[in-house]
Amino acid sequence: MKPIKAIFFPGCLIPIKYPQMEVAIRRTLPNLGVEIIDLEGFSCCPDPIYFQAADKIAWLTLAARNLALAEEAGHDIFTVCSGCTGTLSEANHLLRNDEQLRERVNRRLARVGRKYQGSIAVRHIVVLLREKVGIDRVRESVTRPLTGVRVALHYGCHLLKPSSIMQVDDPDDPQILHQLIEAIGAEPVTHDERFLCCGKACIDPDLPLDMTASVLRSVRKSGADCMGMICPTCFSSFDTGQLLLNRKTKEHFEVPPVYFFQLLGLAQGFSADEVGLTRHRIKPTAVLEKIKA
Amino acid sequence: MEAEQAASPHKRIRIDFAQRRRLLAVLGGNHVNYCYQCGACVGDCPTTRFFPSFNPREIMLTALLGDLGTLLAPGSVIWKCSNCYNCYERCPQDVRPVEVIIALKNLAREEGTHPEEAQTIYETILKTGRSAPVIASLKRKRESMGLPPLPAIDMGELRAVLAPEDPPPGDSPPSSTAESES
Repeated sequence: MKPIKAIFFPGCLIPIKYPQMEVAIRRTLPNLGVEIIDLEGFSCCPDPIYFQAADKIAWLTLAARNLALAEEAGHDIFTVCSGCTGTLSEANHLLRNDEQLRERVNRRLARVGRKYQGSIAVRHIVVLLREKVGIDRVRESVTRPLTGVRVALHYGCHLLKPSSIMQVDDPDDPQILHQLIEAIGAEPVTHDERFLCCGKACIDPDLPLDMTASVLRSVRKSGADCMGMICPTCFSSFDTGQLLLNRKTKEHFEVPPVYFFQLLGLAQGFSADEVGLTRHRIKPTAVLEKIKA
Repeated sequence: MEAEQAASPHKRIRIDFAQRRRLLAVLGGNHVNYCYQCGACVGDCPTTRFFPSFNPREIMLTALLGDLGTLLAPGSVIWKCSNCYNCYERCPQDVRPVEVIIALKNLAREEGTHPEEAQTIYETILKTGRSAPVIASLKRKRESMGLPPLPAIDMGELRAVLAPEDPPPGDSPPSSTAESES
């Protein structure tokens, strides 16, 4: 079968703060027929919260530069962080549809001999799996199904919304992660607060932790073995945020957050160490016990 | 007579149109004019749920009235927005309240009234091209995990691209009537 070639847009958080997720991505994609193209020169997407809040036109300009680099290389991009997905998808959408804006941004890119053309697609890695690889092929790559493992889904916000731009799934009834979790033999658990934002972007001493705590209580109530997620920013809320909550409150949460591709790696037969799970501060012990990994 | 006047339902409302035009000129700010105050954005706002004095409908109303002074003041509630895009999803009028809030944040930065917390990541990106600081041990860590080194970023190129915008070709000196009016 012909390999599916796609340009890897690593973003910042995964390669710098959570390289174990990158390890899992690089181990699992070849088993799905994806050939990862590493490209030189990408900057931050840039950050959809603070950079966009500072200067939306500059935000679009840097995003357009990243897209232009991929256009020069001639392949679609896959992203591994919901923030990068949001930034690059929105930039692609706005610049494709607004000629004046595109010219305005291209005047700045022309200074360095680049041009945004709108010729490539941006897909979050789970969308790449659904649309280019196929859920069946994900299922076929499994050598150790995660039978009996209950995964509480956390879609996060920016993979799905705004749906008119993202066009990934119905944000009120998304299926994509359910399908992927089922494909690796695990059981997706929908819990009460599955749509609540992780709160990371609120500038407030309490709001981020309030939202994170509500999600964690809901996951705990559901009896899931771990959380399954696809965004490193959400991950940090449920990892660092959870430890902070345990210090500040009497909650004693023990909810392991896991990046989907680490679970896929386990299902493809890699060890917990090989997909970086031994580096986690809240280890998914119940998951590993159930599959005897 | 006086009592009658006090009971009159017709309250005089003053709109500062010059201030409102400032917001409309920012990318994403102009859809605020579609807002008919239905409140669909409020019911699904996670920030409102945990912090009721953050109310996207009220923020849109304040913006429509042109009261940017309130919205751009240091410590403004706009910074408590979670950026979840639920309001964008729910709004029947395509106001995109989150985008209006982002446009307001752009104005707050121009005025220098943004909170310090909003500054760090922005500056890290301007300085290094990445949003997270790269510490010395990362190179070894990535190596030990079998990962390729982080690709270099041409900061000269980034700075050139980010330098202030030139006027569009064929345009006489930059017209900034919208700004100078207010």
